[in-house]
Amino acid sequence: MHLPDGLTLLQAVVSGLLIGGLFALAALGLSLVVGVVRIVNLMHGELVLLGAYVAYGLVQATGLNALLVAPLAALAVALLGWPIERFVLQPVVRHGEEAPLLTTFALSVIIQNLLVFLLGADTRSIDSGYGATRLQLGGVSVPMMYLVGFVVALIVCACVHLLITRTAFGRRIRASAENPGDAAVVGVPVRRLYALTFMLAAGVAGLGGALLGMVFSFTPSSGVEYLLTGFTVVVLGGLGSVVGTLVGGLALGLVESFAAAFLGDGYRLFVGLVAFLVFLALRPAGLFGRRA
Amino acid sequence: MSVATTRRGAQRGRVPLAVIALLAGLALLAALPYLLGTYWQQLGFRALQLFTLAVAWNLLAGYAGQVSLGTGAFVGLGAYAFALLGNATGAPLPLLLLAAGAVAALFAIIVSPGLFRLRGLYFTIGSLALAEALRILMVNLSTFGGASGIVLQASTPPFYALYWLALVVALVAGGIVVALLHSPASLALRAVRDDEDVARQMGVRSFRVKLGAFALAAFLTGVAGGLQALKLGAIEPYGAFGMAWTIDTVAVVIIGGIATRGGPLLGTLLYVALGELLRDLPELHNAIGGLFLLLVIRLAPQGVWGLVTGRWAQRPGLAERADG
Repeated sequence: MHLPDGLTLLQAVVSGLLIGGLFALAALGLSLVVGVVRIVNLMHGELVLLGAYVAYGLVQATGLNALLVAPLAALAVALLGWPIERFVLQPVVRHGEEAPLLTTFALSVIIQNLLVFLLGADTRSIDSGYGATRLQLGGVSVPMMYLVGFVVALIVCACVHLLITRTAFGRRIRASAENPGDAAVVGVPVRRLYALTFMLAAGVAGLGGALLGMVFSFTPSSGVEYLLTGFTVVVLGGLGSVVGTLVGGLALGLVESFAAAFLGDGYRLFVGLVAFLVFLALRPAGLFGRRA
Repeated sequence: MSVATTRRGAQRGRVPLAVIALLAGLALLAALPYLLGTYWQQLGFRALQLFTLAVAWNLLAGYAGQVSLGTGAFVGLGAYAFALLGNATGAPLPLLLLAAGAVAALFAIIVSPGLFRLRGLYFTIGSLALAEALRILMVNLSTFGGASGIVLQASTPPFYALYWLALVVALVAGGIVVALLHSPASLALRAVRDDEDVARQMGVRSFRVKLGAFALAAFLTGVAGGLQALKLGAIEPYGAFGMAWTIDTVAVVIIGGIATRGGPLLGTLLYVALGELLRDLPELHNAIGGLFLLLVIRLAPQGVWGLVTGRWAQRPGLAERADG
């Protein structure tokens, strides 16, 4: 452990907050699925990862700018989300809570190994087009991509927030999240809504993955990392609101950034996980403990 | 009267037959190294190790209802304890294996107050986070060899010796769990699994029951990890603490049949057979294993064992007990 100076700390704060925005984006879909569809989705990390792989593939194939193809990656993952929810998850939901959990676990194993089988286990990263361009602010210097990712994340979070709080679709989502039985009684097509919510969640996860893939490198086994980062954000920020998820993401970004500054880069995820476990143990009502 | 005697007589006749079959099976298993080559001995080792892990997980997840995704953590702890203690003391193998299990069980006991605050699915996520945290710590911590791991000073025993050792471990593991399930403790386990709050109201000390199952499962998993260290002769954190252990174990038990007596054995045989069929395509093997997992959860909550014995209709499945 080494004590960083003031400038390094400031740097850690800035980069931590910027990366935290991306964490929030990548976790938003998990918050939606756990909160609305009520499935603890262990394949969330793979949805994020698929976004990264699709964006990588599109950049390789077309040579287009990565930020331009990122929405396509989001669309692709969203389209994959529909059959998964409708034909794989929905039928096992009535088998209790363990069956969907283990089903998403099985899906994550399948996707992870198919990625290795088809594309190999190499570490990859997406060329964002910004290369090594850095943003200079006073003495603080962060990669340009951090800022771009942060801005995109904020915009998407704001859109999802408006979608959920201001539209008829969002009202139905909130009604189903609060009480699916009552929602069905007043005519909300709950099952179709679950599929649509899962699609939305998968799309946002895919977009988050595409952006994360421009900041950090990834391998077919990065999913578990994304998954646990997502759970940490959701637990830190509380379930049920986009604003909460954003706050959770920023908090985790700061925690991990400080961990890297004080203990070294390798401890980034470790300290995040410890924070997660401590928080989870302090708030055992955990994810569902909202509006109790 | 005649009916009763006939029935009793039939039973009397059946028991020795079962015992003979069991003894014959054991003799065959023990004699395997004399009958088959090193390839099969290695495969047998892998199957017996997987069986041990499956028995432990079936106890914890199937009978105590604590669905853990932390198997890899306890395999890793056992492997590291075995290697570190072996290099430091040079103690005999059986003692080192017991120590590997003890270290894993001790870790389970230490983390249990925090982890058991998490119920149901949160326990599952918590155990996964714990295992990942431990893996990352071992990669970064230079004290125990860091990312490059540790080399064992003792030489690796021949395959047949490894096989026999794994056979003893698997038999003891299976024996302990079967004995436990025939004891009154089994009722407490299931009571906590089916409804922890009601169990507590009825006077079951749920924390102790869960801790007992968790520690015993960790112990058996740690011993299996010790076997792995002995087999490899050198360990590193990515493999020893890897998710692959967790995935294989969960797949074996679910495919075989969770909360069934025969599930772990049948699951091990099926999973290892699948691995052999797709020997040259390990990733495809895992993906197809995942697909089987998916299908079994949906179509046969009591696994292949449940289908074979046909008891799945009478017994509460994965579904019904989670609903309660």
